[in-house]
Amino acid sequence: MIEVSNLKKEYVEEETPTQALRGVTFSIEKGEFVSIMGPSGSGKSTLLHILSFLDRPTGGSYKFQGKGIDEMDDQELAQVRNKDMGFVFQSFNLLSRLTVYDNVEIPLLYSDISPSKRKKTIEEAVKSVGLEEKLYTEAGKLSGGQKQRVAIARALVVDPNVIFADEPTGNLDSESGYQVMEILEALNKKGRTVVLVTHETQTAEYADRIIRIKDGIVESDKKIIAVRDRGAQSLK
Amino acid sequence: MLFRDAFKTSTRSLMRGKMRSVLTMLGIVIGIASVIILMSIGQSAQDLILGQVQSIGSNLIIVIPGAPSNGRFSSPASAQGIVITSLQERDVNALEREPSVDMAVPEVRGQGSAVYGNNNVNINFTGSTADFFAVSNLGKVSKGQTFSKADVDSGNHVVVIGPDLANTLFGANVNPIDKIIHIKNVSFRVVGVLEKGGTGAFGVDIGNIVVMPISVAQKQLLGITYYNVIVIQANPSYDINFAKSRITFALRQDHGITDPKKDDFTIQTQADILSILGSITSILTLFLAAIASISLVVGGIGIMNIMLVSVTERTREIGLRKAVGATNNDILQQFLIESVLLTLVGGIVGVTVGAIFVGLTYVVLSTFFSIGWVFAFPISSVILSMVVSGIAGIAFGIYPARQAALKNPIDALRYE
Repeated sequence: MIEVSNLKKEYVEEETPTQALRGVTFSIEKGEFVSIMGPSGSGKSTLLHILSFLDRPTGGSYKFQGKGIDEMDDQELAQVRNKDMGFVFQSFNLLSRLTVYDNVEIPLLYSDISPSKRKKTIEEAVKSVGLEEKLYTEAGKLSGGQKQRVAIARALVVDPNVIFADEPTGNLDSESGYQVMEILEALNKKGRTVVLVTHETQTAEYADRIIRIKDGIVESDKKIIAVRDRGAQSLK
Repeated sequence: MLFRDAFKTSTRSLMRGKMRSVLTMLGIVIGIASVIILMSIGQSAQDLILGQVQSIGSNLIIVIPGAPSNGRFSSPASAQGIVITSLQERDVNALEREPSVDMAVPEVRGQGSAVYGNNNVNINFTGSTADFFAVSNLGKVSKGQTFSKADVDSGNHVVVIGPDLANTLFGANVNPIDKIIHIKNVSFRVVGVLEKGGTGAFGVDIGNIVVMPISVAQKQLLGITYYNVIVIQANPSYDINFAKSRITFALRQDHGITDPKKDDFTIQTQADILSILGSITSILTLFLAAIASISLVVGGIGIMNIMLVSVTERTREIGLRKAVGATNNDILQQFLIESVLLTLVGGIVGVTVGAIFVGLTYVVLSTFFSIGWVFAFPISSVILSMVVSGIAGIAFGIYPARQAALKNPIDALRYE
């Protein structure tokens, strides 16, 4: 599903080039739960942004579902982001003055799902994260954990093949973080690919594979036994 | 993105900052209201002026001395104060023989002071024949009567004055009839006072008018033998343009002119005057609207400014929308709809404010001032205002909307 080969990203700020990624190669199969780990400044977030079509690489190749990012214009990238990808951000990125319903509706506004089918789709997505009672509450009035669950519902509403989560528990207390990871884990069980960026080992271990990045290159790429398969109760 | 969804999204964004939206619209409201008010008042003034010209009657033809001017808006030489003596008594006699002419009324004009006792008033006087009052629609007297043909033929020192002048010279309680006044040291007996009637044809101030037999004015006051103008009432059974051509022919014959380029007189019908005045007032109205539209531009710049601020404030929102699938066109559309909504709603409010102001102006002017103000609210100005509002929304919204649309999603998401 995801194939990256010798992927590079260079930023130039004030005429000084910075190599954020210096040749990253790996692939992710459909249905995998992959954690990308690394210290601050390692390039893990840059990698996630490229994988999720929010940014373009400056070298190497990246194929998503068999099609290279270089073959697509901005319009096509937007369509793929809308249809095949869901996003969960550390800072939620909800529009706080809008209701939960309106926030979850945003991706549908840019999809080809007809307005008459939207309501049911939104209600199902919100129900799947357990917030059906907050459907018409303003997003700004929710707790951090609830906000992240709304963000997950927003990511799910277009039924994407892959969910990209950038430090999804970073702004949450451990209880809320646990709930969010449980939801991501459940989504993966249902066959969705989940790619998670985190610097927390406990969070990373929900995945069944951890790719460690350091100084813009892959330091290690290991399959692990995910927390759920270890028989551990949880991180609670 | 469906237009319906884009419209809903834009409306919500504007409603979230109601006070800001209202203040942003204010510039457009003032601009549109100014355009509406000035165009309406310009139209009213035009109707008033043209109405006064029309009040002299469509079968009136004016002959003034001097060659017709070449320029459409330049006045004949005589009207610029140059003394031209080409119109004489024999012309009036020749015109009266012409079947298409009902009446040919010569006029001379001058200035001086009217004195009664210790009261001394500067006046403009007119010397004419007894038909003057009929031709100028000034036949109604409140006291006495107008002077007669016999008075003109005999050169009697009689005068008809306006009601305001009568009041100034004699006071409210004195009957002016048969009182003797002095104009340029020549004594005149007041035989008639005109009815109060505001402003007459061509803006003649009826209140202070002074009319005397033309023979007296020419010989005793001005020392001239020519006329300043001949006002002709054409025979209504003749086409006005035919009458005009007959008059031209008669005057050329009388003046021995064979080359039409050498005419020493100018003939104007009411239609000619209306056409010229109509053009002048239209240009003035457009000029006023052009000045008012400057405020519209200022309002538009205000909208652009606020839209740019809005784009900056909503950078993360733009980033999020792009992350979940919005294309550049979707973002462009959303912000463009916002700016067009601001200007269109501003335009509607501006038209309403303008209409209220125009209505109040009409009520005040027609109630408290005795000028025949005409209510005019041209639909063309409303349509123009709405079209201009829409165009302003696009013109001043396109730059901020493009700024929003071209944002890189990841930079926008990271914006603090």
